[in-house]
Amino acid sequence: MTEPVEPDFDVIVIGAGIAGCVTAYQLAQQGRSVLLVERGEEPGSKNLSGGVLYSRGMEQVFPDFLTEAPVERRITRNYINFINGDSSVAVDYRDARLAEPVNAVTVLRAKLDPWLAAKCEEAGALIMPGVRVDRVLTEGTRVVGVQAGDDELRAHVVVAADGVNSFIAQDVGLRKKPPQHHLAVGVKAVVSLPRKTIEDRFTLTGDEGAAVAAVGDCTEGVGGGGFLYTNIDSLSIGIVVRLDDLTAKKKVVTDIFDHFLEHRFIAPYLEGGEMLEYGCHLVAEGGLDMVGDIVMDGMVVVGDAAGLTLNTGLTVRGMDLAVGSAVAAAEAVGAALDQKNTSRATLAAYREKLFASYVGKDMETYAKAPHFLETDRMYKEYGELLADVLYGAFNHDLKPREHLVKVARGSLAHSPLKIMQLVKDGIAGARAL
Amino acid sequence: MKIVVAYKWTRDPEEASARPDGTVDWSRAKPGLSTYDPVAIEVARQLAAETGAELIGVTVGDKGVGTPLACKAALGRGLDRVVTVEDGSLADAGRSELAAVLAEVIKHIGDVDLVVTGDSSMDVAAKMVPTVLAGELGWPAVAEVTSVTGKAGELRVGREIPGGAQVLEISGPAVLATSADAAAPRVPGMKDLLAAGKKPVEHLDLAALKVSPQNAVMTVTGRSLPERKVRKGQLIDTADPAQAADELLTALRQAGAL
Repeated sequence: MTEPVEPDFDVIVIGAGIAGCVTAYQLAQQGRSVLLVERGEEPGSKNLSGGVLYSRGMEQVFPDFLTEAPVERRITRNYINFINGDSSVAVDYRDARLAEPVNAVTVLRAKLDPWLAAKCEEAGALIMPGVRVDRVLTEGTRVVGVQAGDDELRAHVVVAADGVNSFIAQDVGLRKKPPQHHLAVGVKAVVSLPRKTIEDRFTLTGDEGAAVAAVGDCTEGVGGGGFLYTNIDSLSIGIVVRLDDLTAKKKVVTDIFDHFLEHRFIAPYLEGGEMLEYGCHLVAEGGLDMVGDIVMDGMVVVGDAAGLTLNTGLTVRGMDLAVGSAVAAAEAVGAALDQKNTSRATLAAYREKLFASYVGKDMETYAKAPHFLETDRMYKEYGELLADVLYGAFNHDLKPREHLVKVARGSLAHSPLKIMQLVKDGIAGARAL
Repeated sequence: MKIVVAYKWTRDPEEASARPDGTVDWSRAKPGLSTYDPVAIEVARQLAAETGAELIGVTVGDKGVGTPLACKAALGRGLDRVVTVEDGSLADAGRSELAAVLAEVIKHIGDVDLVVTGDSSMDVAAKMVPTVLAGELGWPAVAEVTSVTGKAGELRVGREIPGGAQVLEISGPAVLATSADAAAPRVPGMKDLLAAGKKPVEHLDLAALKVSPQNAVMTVTGRSLPERKVRKGQLIDTADPAQAADELLTALRQAGAL
């Protein structure tokens, strides 16, 4: 069944971020009439993203994505860093296999989103920037359109792609306000530096890029982490910290960010750079728990709005999941339109496709990650313990040397960590990640 | 009656940055409708609604001013149609050249009774184009216009002048530059934007307009930033608010600020 009134569009997509654009693009390519409404004056002006995109999903939608889209650098170097006050221990993983085929790229959303929106327009979608959808129109249990100001427009299907807060999904009761421990706050800056300087500081050549993930003193022990990504001629640097822990530890997020920027192991990367952008945004970190109901009569929810974000500690993902959800949604919505039945039961194919794809599978695989990452010890004691063990190994203070195992035992004895916690966290980590 | 709104599609200087040598980096500035032009469109739209006039948007400039995005942004605010002259050679055009091209477009449209412009452009802000345009057309120019009523040949125009306000009656065509707050521009709604995509857009070829060449060539040969004033950096640091106020007063008096 579809609604009796002939609607203005087949599909109205709310939000021209990655999930919204990719959904709109594919539906327009199917020949549907699509309206893409965006609150910002231009797509990409209202959102904030760390900036690493795992690009394979995007390549399935846009085969020439890597050559055509405004991507910055191919990530071939992952630098995982436990940062303490005066010491730091890192794993520096570099691999040519990450370059061919390309696995992840850095992007600047202020450039990428307008490109995606232009693709939608080429495919025949109508883009309306500068319009804030106030609410969706409902008739009974069915969503029939959107309202912005005094204007109402109707569609067979509405796609809510309105980001992490998704007022649309909350408004129609699909989603509850997420609990605080499912939310984090991100602060990010883009710092310009000459291309050559970036390549020298991160020992990169050509369009190679580096992604630094940091935990520990970079967030002053608050649950979360810091990141530093290389773009062509700028760096994206930021922190993401859990809201509940921030409140519990009575810290101010901008102070933590300043502390990170000024940290002795971070500041040298930024030296001489000029800050181009500075922003703050909520980040969903609830993992699978946050994915609630994402389908109802006449509406589906995609991307961040559907709670599709993953923090595994090593990788932080959102954009690739947005792409995956958009692919699943476009297929299901297209099929529902063909059947002239856009009820919840038909659109439920979206959820099935989503959970059959890498998106749903990964959300399930890492379902325990958010809880594991709430372990306080991750953000202080472990980094210090690692540094103490290495200090014992490298500090030749003319005392007789000891085997590393003994040094490690000694360090553990001095650390507030207990061996049982270590074992417990080790098992929990292995299960969660 | 035909009303033309001459608007500018240009870059926002707030998104530009000045390099130490005085040159300007525009690379991060996005193009948009010039800040005060929605005010002009709204003033003209209200008059058009009262008189049943046709409301035509005109813009001339560099590549980009005639893109669907740019035209829809203007049309969504209530214009009936848009006429553009989009030419790379106009990227560095001066005020008089732009005004000369605008004048030719207005002649091309024909039977125009009124041209309305914004207070000033957001990127140049020289407030010269309306006056030069009026000169090219041989029409009167009025700046700081706060209201327009009446009809073609019998316009009643309110304007601000230093120390007060005036009401003018104008018997023929004129160029009016609206004051910055002459009207509150409407934010285009979804229906406006939908309609905008269906309205006619005419692209004119600059070469076909026969704009008279400028008799002198003007080139920018030097740029500099305004001299930066050195701040005193004086800090008043005391626990007692009354004492802090005293110290602040003394400091301001010494500096000659009070």
